[in-house]
Amino acid sequence: MLDICLEDFDLLSDEEFEALERETARLTSAWQVQNMRGCAAVFWDDQRIGEKRHELNAIKHPSVNVEALYAGRMKAVVDSLEGNSLIHPLTTPVIVVDETNTKCRSVWWSIGVEGLSKFREKPLAIISLGMVPGCNIVEDGEWKMLWGAWQRTTKNEYHHSWVEDMQRTNTRPPLTKEQDRAFLGKYAYMKDEVRKPSPEPPHEDTWEQFPDETDNSFLYINL
Amino acid sequence: MITMERKENLLRAMQKLEAYRLIQNQMGRAVAAFNFRQAEKLLSFFALDQEGVALEYCDEGLFDGREAVETIIREVVGAEPKPGEMLDMQLTTPMIEIADDLKTAKCLWWMPGAGAIPQSEGDPMAIWAWGELAVDFIQVDGQWKIWHLHYFRFTKCDYHKGWVDDTSMVNRLQVPVHPLSKPSTYHNPYTPWSIRDGLPCAPRPYETYTDKDRFWELDRNKNW
Repeated sequence: MLDICLEDFDLLSDEEFEALERETARLTSAWQVQNMRGCAAVFWDDQRIGEKRHELNAIKHPSVNVEALYAGRMKAVVDSLEGNSLIHPLTTPVIVVDETNTKCRSVWWSIGVEGLSKFREKPLAIISLGMVPGCNIVEDGEWKMLWGAWQRTTKNEYHHSWVEDMQRTNTRPPLTKEQDRAFLGKYAYMKDEVRKPSPEPPHEDTWEQFPDETDNSFLYINL
Repeated sequence: MITMERKENLLRAMQKLEAYRLIQNQMGRAVAAFNFRQAEKLLSFFALDQEGVALEYCDEGLFDGREAVETIIREVVGAEPKPGEMLDMQLTTPMIEIADDLKTAKCLWWMPGAGAIPQSEGDPMAIWAWGELAVDFIQVDGQWKIWHLHYFRFTKCDYHKGWVDDTSMVNRLQVPVHPLSKPSTYHNPYTPWSIRDGLPCAPRPYETYTDKDRFWELDRNKNW
């Protein structure tokens, strides 16, 4: 157990105390961002549209198109939620909070299972691997998601392997193979291609290298 | 000049971070004990002397109080292991909130899992067993202990058939309920005809645990 008390802080200079305070706050932030991203994953599984829920997006940042964000949330992509599910556990976290403790870049990997029924037909069982890269900022005292989306590696019908099958992201109207490839499947597995090493997890000096929170080029440095 | 308030805030933040690590370690050890069928070791992670200690799993009911928790863990986890049997649950996606008073914590993990069930003839059946785990921890004598544990089944299915084609194991068999169980508070596994609820909820920050916090994992009004 942590064996310190308030009096122990008296042994520190003001500068040392402030440094400790800063580092503690950054560690706490990494934890809070992990919580927030988990909550976002819960919301993926509950696909009901129009219901009030805790706002996880940074809707006050000038780079965010709030109108488009809200419109996207209201779009149905299946006829009924019956048989539909998206469970994507988050693993392999890499989380880097900046020195000011107001910006955070992160990448998770994920193995997920899904059920997809577009038109009330018998659902398709799907296994899907992918990553969740993104950036969080502090808004109204809380860590919010500035950007970040699913990046697919595989998405195959359960009885076929990821080598044999690639399901496209379900949208209305449906995406062509080329559109899907340009969207969430941009770096997805292809049996006749060498894998592209993206997203690169954020380095410890990511904020010195890429100070703008809207800059996502750190993900693509290997390309 | 560093104020006393800042010192108190820093100490609390450091204690919370320490608790965050300790709780994840404790839960990891408890899951290992569960996977390895070590009933007495698993019980050692529970706050058995704490009023309201409870365990609920799937649609098998709520086991409320020390006697019920001890009995169900000894009966289910402590049953004689069979050759070829396996259950391998894993903790992922941690969502953990520690009360400002540092006495309790609300936690949620998503649990992918795989297993093998021995059959009367032939090889064991390979299964998927995925779920979510909502747990309240409480500090007892300086140690974090499981106070309320609630396992939600997402799927339990034949590996070869998958979660759409095999729903035969998502609900309990029609056999008498355990005499020590109380009715389940929630059970909604994935099936081709069910609708997901986004439950259990992710916990939200809180100051201190009160009676109103019990079953926070089901309270969409508070936690969404």
